[in-house]
Amino acid sequence: MKRIEARAVMFAAMAVVIARAAFAVGPAQIGNFEVTEVAPGNYVHYGSFQERSPENLGDNANIGFIVGERCVLVVDAGGSLPVGLALKKAVRRVTPVPICHVVLTHVHPDHFFGAAAFLDDKPQFIAHRNYPRQLAARARPYLNYLRRDLGEFAEGSDIVQPTLLVDGRLELDLGGRSVLVQGWPPAHTDDDLTVFDRATRTFWLADLLFVDHTPVIDATITGFLAVMDDLRKIDAEHYVAGHGRSRAPWPAVLDPQRRYFTVILDETRAAIRNKKTIQQAIEEVGLSEVNNWAAFDTFHRRNVTTAYTELEWE
Amino acid sequence: MKNGTRRVATLLLVLAFALPAAANEKAEPDPARSPYWEPIRQLIFGDRVINPDDRDVIRVYLNLRADDASTVPVAVKSQIDQTDKDYIKSIYLIVERNPSPTAGVFHFTPSSGRAQVETRLRFEDFSFVRAVAEMNDGKLYMSQRWVKAAGGCSAPNAKNFVPEALLGKMKLRFDDDTVSYGKPNLVQLMIRHPNESALAADFDAEKVPQFVRSVRVSFDGRPVMDAEVDFSISDNPNFRFYFNPQGKGELKIEVEDTHDRKFTHSVPIAEGAPLPGG
Repeated sequence: MKRIEARAVMFAAMAVVIARAAFAVGPAQIGNFEVTEVAPGNYVHYGSFQERSPENLGDNANIGFIVGERCVLVVDAGGSLPVGLALKKAVRRVTPVPICHVVLTHVHPDHFFGAAAFLDDKPQFIAHRNYPRQLAARARPYLNYLRRDLGEFAEGSDIVQPTLLVDGRLELDLGGRSVLVQGWPPAHTDDDLTVFDRATRTFWLADLLFVDHTPVIDATITGFLAVMDDLRKIDAEHYVAGHGRSRAPWPAVLDPQRRYFTVILDETRAAIRNKKTIQQAIEEVGLSEVNNWAAFDTFHRRNVTTAYTELEWE
Repeated sequence: MKNGTRRVATLLLVLAFALPAAANEKAEPDPARSPYWEPIRQLIFGDRVINPDDRDVIRVYLNLRADDASTVPVAVKSQIDQTDKDYIKSIYLIVERNPSPTAGVFHFTPSSGRAQVETRLRFEDFSFVRAVAEMNDGKLYMSQRWVKAAGGCSAPNAKNFVPEALLGKMKLRFDDDTVSYGKPNLVQLMIRHPNESALAADFDAEKVPQFVRSVRVSFDGRPVMDAEVDFSISDNPNFRFYFNPQGKGELKIEVEDTHDRKFTHSVPIAEGAPLPGG
């Protein structure tokens, strides 16, 4: 029943998207769901930088999959059921091998709301040890916001609980291909996971790396900088950011994000030292970075808020 | 009194969930016609008249667009001097669409210096924030702001967890390097506490709410600000307010949470002596 409803909604969504495309009104995101093979067996779909809307259906994060001989591992499910279903179709265009694992890299809605699309495959839903605690606290407001932004297209984007929690490192064998799922100390969130495909040395960083899109700090700025020092040491050949794409080599691609965080860190500490209020800091800190990032207006002041509430206790 | 407050909170909570979520509400609604406000007003103030603030007693300051639903700075600023004859007795700070709308009730005296408080709020949804000043003669004045404060990956809950060892730890920061007698001095109180509600956790039945219930500030044994607060206040509750010392004494903070844990902190205050400023 649920599935029929979900399918009906998706067809409705597709009908709208197709109609819009026909009149060249908006982007046909789901009807034209592209994946790029960034390294043999590693397929990425690049999400949009636009704010979530009924036109993009929450297709905002970079998501994808790794194909082994026996199993497919999905890295994040996208921001709504239609996005998850589109990703699943993309998997099926590439391989008939079963989807054994869906990694939920962290507790953000642009990454996890598509997870219900994979329930039929009965995969392991893998998340960080801290993920359930955060999901419990955030599920209700996230569902409310999703409904507000997507209206009827939010239907079926149900919360999926993880079935396997990672505390540290988890080695997976996809059949002729081994993959490392790694949990990190608090950084972007307190429940960040990365995926490393050993065969091609492809590093899926999820939101531990933003390219061109304003990086987001939803746990700790000092923690994020510390984790970035460790990320840099990973011997990667290819990389996939959580948002954005780049031709810059690894690990130099980390540098702009590090610079941005350093600016916030230094200027927020100075603001606190100079007895500026959180509101003053929010209005003043980091403005030199405004032209370097997309969606700065949406996320930058939030980052300063997070930094201030952390650093004022130093 | 306390039970009464709790009963009101529970009733409000039921009401908050009974009302339908407003879909796609991007424009500011008419503050006088808010379906959320009427029942709250009835429960807290009954049939008492709330005057439009043409006397300019109180103003609430917030950005129209708040960026982080877990931490939205708010300032409630009194526009009048606290005198024995004419003063603000209490300020009610209300986020009308939150599950428990009353973020805090702050009580002041003529010796508070200035009836003013800044803090940080959580938002479950777009909402009016209302500050109602209750004068010593019982008159009520209201100021309100519409806030769009949610969306994206911004969430009303705490981003990090407060380690047990730090729970209740406090810090006081002063704006000035030394205290001045006979005039209002600004002070910031910081409290380490998750200040979390079980309401955010529909998917976790085991979760027990724990949040700061009351904050009492006194100087030299006399009340400066007494506040009954709730989980609409952000984690690690933070308050900025004034105290008006007439001579040296002890600035004392007493905090109590829902688990009946009591935390105290105090600093000696004397003219010319350096203040902990951070």
